Amino acid sequence: MKQIALYGKGGIGKSTTSANLSAALSGMGLDVLQIGCDPKRDSTRMLMHGNFIPTVMDLVRVRGEAPITLSEIEFTGFNGVRCVEAGGPEPGVGCAGRGIIATFQLLEKFGALKGDVIVYDVLGDVVCGGFAMPMREGYAQDVYLVTSGELMSLYAANNICKAIQRLSSRTKSTCRLAGVICNARNQPNEEELVAEFAKRVNSSLIQYIPRDRVVQLAELNRKTVIEYEPASAQAECYRSLAMRVMENTRFTIPSPLEIDELEALAYSYI
Amino acid sequence: MSLKPLPIHTSRFGGCTLTGALSVTTHVRNTASVIHGPKGCTHHNFSLLHATGLDNETVTLPDLVSTALCESDIVFGGEGALLRTLGSVAESGPDAIFVLSTCIVDTIGDDVAAICGREFGVPVVIVPTAGFLGGTFQNGVANALRALADTAEPLPVQESVNIIGEMNLEYEVEENYAEVVRLLDMLGVSVNIRFVHDIGFDDIGMLGAARLNILREPLLQTVGMYLEQRFGTPFIPSFPLGLSGTLSFVEAVAETFGIDSSRAVEKEHLFQSDTLAGFSDLKGMVASFDPAMGDLDSVHSSSEVAEAVRIHMREPGTRCLPLGPGRPVGTAGVRRMLHRWRRQLHA
Repeated sequence: MKQIALYGKGGIGKSTTSANLSAALSGMGLDVLQIGCDPKRDSTRMLMHGNFIPTVMDLVRVRGEAPITLSEIEFTGFNGVRCVEAGGPEPGVGCAGRGIIATFQLLEKFGALKGDVIVYDVLGDVVCGGFAMPMREGYAQDVYLVTSGELMSLYAANNICKAIQRLSSRTKSTCRLAGVICNARNQPNEEELVAEFAKRVNSSLIQYIPRDRVVQLAELNRKTVIEYEPASAQAECYRSLAMRVMENTRFTIPSPLEIDELEALAYSYI
Repeated sequence: MSLKPLPIHTSRFGGCTLTGALSVTTHVRNTASVIHGPKGCTHHNFSLLHATGLDNETVTLPDLVSTALCESDIVFGGEGALLRTLGSVAESGPDAIFVLSTCIVDTIGDDVAAICGREFGVPVVIVPTAGFLGGTFQNGVANALRALADTAEPLPVQESVNIIGEMNLEYEVEENYAEVVRLLDMLGVSVNIRFVHDIGFDDIGMLGAARLNILREPLLQTVGMYLEQRFGTPFIPSFPLGLSGTLSFVEAVAETFGIDSSRAVEKEHLFQSDTLAGFSDLKGMVASFDPAMGDLDSVHSSSEVAEAVRIHMREPGTRCLPLGPGRPVGTAGVRRMLHRWRRQLHA
């Protein structure tokens, strides 16, 4: 079983990329589970045709200690992709990180973490230990960074490299940086910049995804691009990503950059 | 942000902030202390206060209520649990409710002040007590005293003193208080309130009426300064310690009240001589101070007593009988310490 996690700056397109990746993987005949690890709970929405599925934390909140069954938290979306949303507290209260930990414990208890591929789609920044949970204790082994060529996005990706570096240096850790996905803003030299960034942090650019209006159109039609426009170049891009993810064998311990280096790098690709 | 303290010997100065605060709030009669956190924090503290009470020969059943947070409260926030608990505690009709936070609640950032700001029909007083912020037992005591002081307003000053921050968990809490009262009586000075030892919530309103605050120990100086700022009341930083400390205490109190202390000091000096004469059997014995008796005040006051009864004190750690530790409050405290020494030396 392959377990991959997508991390990156908020709003960079992790959920769109995750959902399309899961859809493409399922198209390869694989049994895929996508887990949204964000209180915003919208990771799996396009796979579920626009529906917000009940989250694990919602059920815990309502039921308390009463038992929950797997069928109440796992929903089958497009092409058989199984979808779970961790959920979490309302913005501004409680501890969403602890919610992620609690969700993982529940999923483990249910034996839900099974199939050919699990895709973990994790909230923007690894703000606390809870959001590093997918990378810990043998859950996600392959971590992909989603970034554009914008400095703030690279900065966030670089920061996540620090978390991966810390976690992967632990003795029993199996978590590694598996590659960088460039979800482009279509700025000049963007692919080259992100490829160079990937190289500098001791990884590689695994897929360049250009900005395309079809993504917005698919979203407005509450579908993934794979489902909405399977013949499009964009869909081909996601299928290519899926293929490369399955074939990938280069897993590294990242070497995060200093802020000066990062800025100089971005500057040199203006 | 609090940083990790140096790995020094902290057993005396460490401890749980919550426990320190509870040692104060549970001494306000007919009030409830709501502990906002997992139920273990409450259970542990209830047991500790109860057991300490038994050790001090009193049965204490402190009115502690836990908001009993569980994992889902931590994930979704514990404010609802606090609101429910305050509602039901208020129904039981206490004179006031104290709300004490715990480590986890301050970690997840519950807005305790917003919840406590609602109308419950009784005063609700917040005491910040998250221990991981670097606080100790002593900080808990100080935080509770400050929070309680904030419920009182300045008043016209009367000729009396407040007793501030008695160590409610110590074995000799009543004896030490009685000794201070005895010394004050010699000057004709009375006690306004014991802040806080077995008082009513309304009594706290009188806090500002004293001419002088007498702190239990110098660690309470921040509280002393806070009260001085709020009510304009000057303070003496400690209960009287040892022989000369007792005499200078009498002098210091007298000075504040503009009383001539010479007769009282002379009388007390004679009483001290009489007391010491009763321990002439200890003369010439050899001992050392227990190295655990670390603080300078207690070493100083105990050395003075040893010298007065002519016990030969060797360097701490040398091979002879270790005495102490002791922080003798007043002449009566000296006498009790000498009784303990006698039992050790004649054993």
